Amino acid sequence: MTSFIQKRALTSLISLVGLVVLVFFLSRLTGDPAALFLPIDATDAMREQFREIHGLNDPLLVQFWHYIVDLAHLNFGESIRKARPAIDVVLEGFLWTFQLAVITMVLVTGAAVVVGSLAAFKAGGFFDRFASFVSLIGASAPDFWIAIVGIVVFAVSLGWVPTSGTGTPLHWILPIAVLFIRPFGLIVQVVRGSMITALSSAYVKTARAKGVRTRPIIFVHALRNALLPVITVIGDQAAALLNGAVVVETIFGFPGVGKLMIDSILQRDFNVVLAAIMVTALAIFIMNLLIDLAYSLLDPRIRN
Amino acid sequence: MLKKSLLLGALALVASAAPALAQDHSVKIVLNEEADLLEPCMATRSNIGRIILENVNETLTELDVRGKKGLMPRLAESWEQTSPNEWRFHLRKGVKFSDGSDFDATDVKASFDRAMDKSITCETPRYFGDMTIQASVVDPYTVDFVTDPVQPILPLLMSLVTIVPSETPVKFVRQPVGTGPYKVTDWTPGQQIVLSRRDDYWGDKPQVDKATYVFRQDPAVRAAMVKTGEADIAPSISADVADDPKMDVSFLNSETVYIRLDQSMAPINDVRVRKALNLAIDRQAFVGTLVPKGTELAVAMFPPSTLGWNPDVKVPPYDPAEAKKLLAAAKADGVPVDTKLTLVARTANFPNVTEVMEAIQQQLQEVGFNVDLKFYEVAEFEKMYSKPYPTDMGPQLVTAMHDNSKGDPVFSMFFKYASDGRQSGLKDPKVDDLISAASEATGDSRAQLWSQLVKYLHDDIWADVLLFHMVDFARVGPRVDFTPSIATNAQLQLSSISFK
Repeated sequence: MTSFIQKRALTSLISLVGLVVLVFFLSRLTGDPAALFLPIDATDAMREQFREIHGLNDPLLVQFWHYIVDLAHLNFGESIRKARPAIDVVLEGFLWTFQLAVITMVLVTGAAVVVGSLAAFKAGGFFDRFASFVSLIGASAPDFWIAIVGIVVFAVSLGWVPTSGTGTPLHWILPIAVLFIRPFGLIVQVVRGSMITALSSAYVKTARAKGVRTRPIIFVHALRNALLPVITVIGDQAAALLNGAVVVETIFGFPGVGKLMIDSILQRDFNVVLAAIMVTALAIFIMNLLIDLAYSLLDPRIRN
Repeated sequence: MLKKSLLLGALALVASAAPALAQDHSVKIVLNEEADLLEPCMATRSNIGRIILENVNETLTELDVRGKKGLMPRLAESWEQTSPNEWRFHLRKGVKFSDGSDFDATDVKASFDRAMDKSITCETPRYFGDMTIQASVVDPYTVDFVTDPVQPILPLLMSLVTIVPSETPVKFVRQPVGTGPYKVTDWTPGQQIVLSRRDDYWGDKPQVDKATYVFRQDPAVRAAMVKTGEADIAPSISADVADDPKMDVSFLNSETVYIRLDQSMAPINDVRVRKALNLAIDRQAFVGTLVPKGTELAVAMFPPSTLGWNPDVKVPPYDPAEAKKLLAAAKADGVPVDTKLTLVARTANFPNVTEVMEAIQQQLQEVGFNVDLKFYEVAEFEKMYSKPYPTDMGPQLVTAMHDNSKGDPVFSMFFKYASDGRQSGLKDPKVDDLISAASEATGDSRAQLWSQLVKYLHDDIWADVLLFHMVDFARVGPRVDFTPSIATNAQLQLSSISFK
């Protein structure tokens, strides 16, 4: 197991280095930060001075060398816009995104597995049709629309929850609800499909023939085998959330890493972009590792 | 016994809550973007200025944007021009910074030197252009500024220089210290900034004792927050969500939309062609359709409340027939009126910019212009907006938006119209002379010279195509009294807020 983790860590490190090199050079192709930091009618002298102060006049390779040397000392550089260490800015945002992603995915996984399994048990029945209908709407509705409608209905008209922001547990309800809907719709469909296959397999029929009760058949015999593809999709959805739920963060004023990354790209705050990519890449690497471990727990064949 | 103590507890709770409710003089303001810094020398940038300008960091002088008082004293009690290139400011006594230190002339000099320092990129230097200025301390409450060349509006320029303690380091700060009525007591990045009223402020005590700023990018959410009572003021919401006449007010926001004409190229160098461009556009048709109701048609580069506004200059009529005639006459004289003109605009410059530009393109084509429309994002746009202009694109009509809430045309006219102006499309000696004469004049003659220039540009040489003075919408909740002004986008003084 240790060697497995080591091997995965090494390949991930190589990808991370490749990513950093790629993002470093690609982001600099987007243009000059001076053009965005300074007002549009700033003088050339002001722009020149700005570039000089931030080392943007050096040849690109020299800038890259400086960046790598700093990085080796765990210095991710300063945010040009915020005049603070880029890594502090990113970690602050990431913490919010991480909490949002974890809570959402736990709720989604629990709900989708139960609903998907029950739908599969009586495929074609009322519950199945209803669950499919709701989950398909969820999987296809745009989240900015759900978010705005959610605010209008639940915050403005009914006054049950605050419109946006952070501070109390109530503030988390709308953002999580909006984030919940799409992965829920998707995962319910995957669980259902996978469970229908599992429930029609020989070992389930055998279990039934032996007189095992319905609940253990669904949740113990069939589900364990049906979960492998589900975990792949869960991993995929969780990775998307860890990269930041940009729409939800923007609309609800949630200070997460997704909005931070978009803003930093638009403002050409390169150090923040790079730090954010490294942090989220690391999180996704750890999550992939956990998913691999989950596979091997569920399916002993993978262990060997 | 239990009942009694519960009753007493409840009474005590009510008693303690009642005065608290009566005295709640805090406001919550929801803005569209967070300040990335709270650096006083960047306070002319709207996302910073709206929070700290005159609230936390004050200036020597202050322009009255609400009334007609003109330039008012703030940290300077008075000022005089001691020689053509020298100004003397007499400072207010008994003023303290929020860190407890005393305000005096060394702070003024240090603030000015810091803002102009080449090792940080403050916004202040851009308002001073190429002039050299030397500040010197005469005594603790007197400071002199020597300028080269002569600078008749130095007192007005001083309304843009924020004062910080002399000990402030020459690097961007995130916790500003100032002499203003408020100090920053909390900044949780991404969430909120809190200003609290100071007890030792030198001036009148404002009603608001605590202001919390929160940030939401979506205008519908900002509007909803005021509606639900989560916020008291949303200084800027979009026209399409301003649907509550009881709470929403529109106000001129000091932005002017115009099309710059580069007169160095044919056919734009012909005055008939420029006039035809002006007559071909039905400006009034845009108001209430593609640009919000309340938008004013522009006849100058600066809004009507500015010094030198000329009421005699009228909006050009929409006259496509006359435009066609002018073009035909120019063509008969050999002017290449069929040349392709590139109409340039900036993406997301203002709401509905795409539709507005497409409509203008069509109106110009209808009278016979050959117009190609191109959109650019801000950094690309900058290359066409400021000199040197690209020479490989043929004649360009650059649509831009210019902000002047500072009360004097000098912040617009040199850049936009002088031969050496960075965004100017003309080289006209008469314009240059008028700009330098007006820049050096004071009082009535200054206003007169600016008026004269406005008329010459608009009626005689058709220098550009002026379109709209834009409006913004603010939503103000029922608890507070607040009227937005032309400067609300740049500064939002908490002292202008009161409670009902």
